[in-house]
Amino acid sequence: MVAAKKTKKTHESINNRLALVMKSGKYTLGYKTVLKSLRSSKGKLIIIANNCPPLRKSEIEYYAMLCKVGVHHYNGNNVDLGTACGKYFRVCCLSIIDPGDSDIIKSMPSDH
Amino acid sequence: MVKFLKPNKAVIVLQGRYAGRKAVIVRSFDEGTRDRPYGHCLVAGTKKYPSKVIRKDSAKKTAKKSRVKCFVKLVNYQHLMPTRYTLDVDLKDVVTADALQTKDKKVAACKATKERFQERFKTGKNRWFFTKLRF
Repeated sequence: MVAAKKTKKTHESINNRLALVMKSGKYTLGYKTVLKSLRSSKGKLIIIANNCPPLRKSEIEYYAMLCKVGVHHYNGNNVDLGTACGKYFRVCCLSIIDPGDSDIIKSMPSDH
Repeated sequence: MVKFLKPNKAVIVLQGRYAGRKAVIVRSFDEGTRDRPYGHCLVAGTKKYPSKVIRKDSAKKTAKKSRVKCFVKLVNYQHLMPTRYTLDVDLKDVVTADALQTKDKKVAACKATKERFQERFKTGKNRWFFTKLRF
């Protein structure tokens, strides 16, 4: 029970941080651009939805491992992640290039 | 945040005639060039992997089995899968961008890389690079 409560609270905080990034920072949405941002080493944090196909998830994680960039597995599917980004479409993976005012990058790696 | 598409990185070609082949990045053009306005790199890879050499093979047979056939190509980053492996073979003087201009220069570059790859295979290092990717 304690674990469930903790995930709800941190889940909301991730959503808040994501909203701040959408407003003030730079990001890209979608698999192709996520890989592009990893190849050019511009991505600082990758967020993957939980219903991402496992092969694609492993591929993004492998690229992120080569690049030493953190990956956060979002607690929700691509519909939820799209809503969290304030978009009306589904987002399976996104890459944060510049967090703006948000502290998502500083707080996320400790959490994972 | 660390660039990993650097020279000496082992990659796997994903598209084209050489799909599924392992290659090594010789030179990378991150910003692209006028002809290719996208990130791409010059890779040298194995067209035909060397066969498995066993101890009871004669010298003539090992020589025949250790033959490698190479290719040299400019590939878009999107058509490569980078790996965590590297291959420290000095190919910069042999494989250059202008080696791809004419057919005989390309053949000469392939011949030289073939020799470097074969001597590296004979030492037994970088075994992953010379094994065929099963898929």
